Amino acid sequence: MEQPDPTIHQPVRLKIMAALKPLPAGEALEFVRLKAVVGATEGNLGAHITTLEQAGYVGVEKDFVGKRPRTRVSMTPQGRRAFDAYVGYLQDIIGAAG
Amino acid sequence: MSLSSQEASASLQQVEEASRRSSQLYFYHCSSPHLIMWGIIWIIGYGGTGLFPRYGWWLWLGLIVIGSVGGIVLGHRYKRDGYASSPYAWRMGALWAIILFFVFGTYAILPPHLDKQFCAFPALITGCAYMAIGLWRGLRYVISGMVVATLTLVGYYFIEPIFFWFAAVGGGAMILTGLWFRTA
Repeated sequence: MEQPDPTIHQPVRLKIMAALKPLPAGEALEFVRLKAVVGATEGNLGAHITTLEQAGYVGVEKDFVGKRPRTRVSMTPQGRRAFDAYVGYLQDIIGAAG
Repeated sequence: MSLSSQEASASLQQVEEASRRSSQLYFYHCSSPHLIMWGIIWIIGYGGTGLFPRYGWWLWLGLIVIGSVGGIVLGHRYKRDGYASSPYAWRMGALWAIILFFVFGTYAILPPHLDKQFCAFPALITGCAYMAIGLWRGLRYVISGMVVATLTLVGYYFIEPIFFWFAAVGGGAMILTGLWFRTA
């Protein structure tokens, strides 16, 4: 069986990708909502998002709503393919065992 | 680096849970402005009908048009704010169209005999629709629907004047629901 993608093969990053997957293509999730879904601290979440961004799996946009800064994270097409492949890898393991 | 089937199964469960939660929050976020807008429309509609009962039908006709156009405008505004699309926006608009079609279709087949029947029916249907949506989309919708439906029945049986009750309770509940969804 092939090896899993090391970038996604980490619990917090897997949750980040899972949270972004159901959004329509190009749609972004605000950092605060992502934090609520993943259940990580801000610093930890930020570090993992950076790792995913460097791998080209997510895009990060920063802007202001009024005077309030807003960070939004979206999944790139490359990230979508990588996540689907990773989920396929997990399903293969379960299928092989069953 | 390979995983056991138990670990793989646990990871997939985490994936499903995170996806479900994210999808739920996104839906709340998309539906919030529509609920606030329709809450305002309800206040104007029921309040106006209470003040000027002869013009109730015309008032509601105008408000439905405004609500439909407003739904489209909100969808575009959502896009303008940097979101790629608003896939649930048109569904929310379509949901309202279905509810209104059902309500007016029912009025045509079974005309209401009392003002309070005219008033309570759309509110009751709306509450039930919220509860039904909540079965798939989250507890907040179920709670909001139960509140609207229960207050509708309370108003129908115990409150006079009924139009102002529905303006305050129906419209107010929708606005509060929209604000509550914003915090999700």
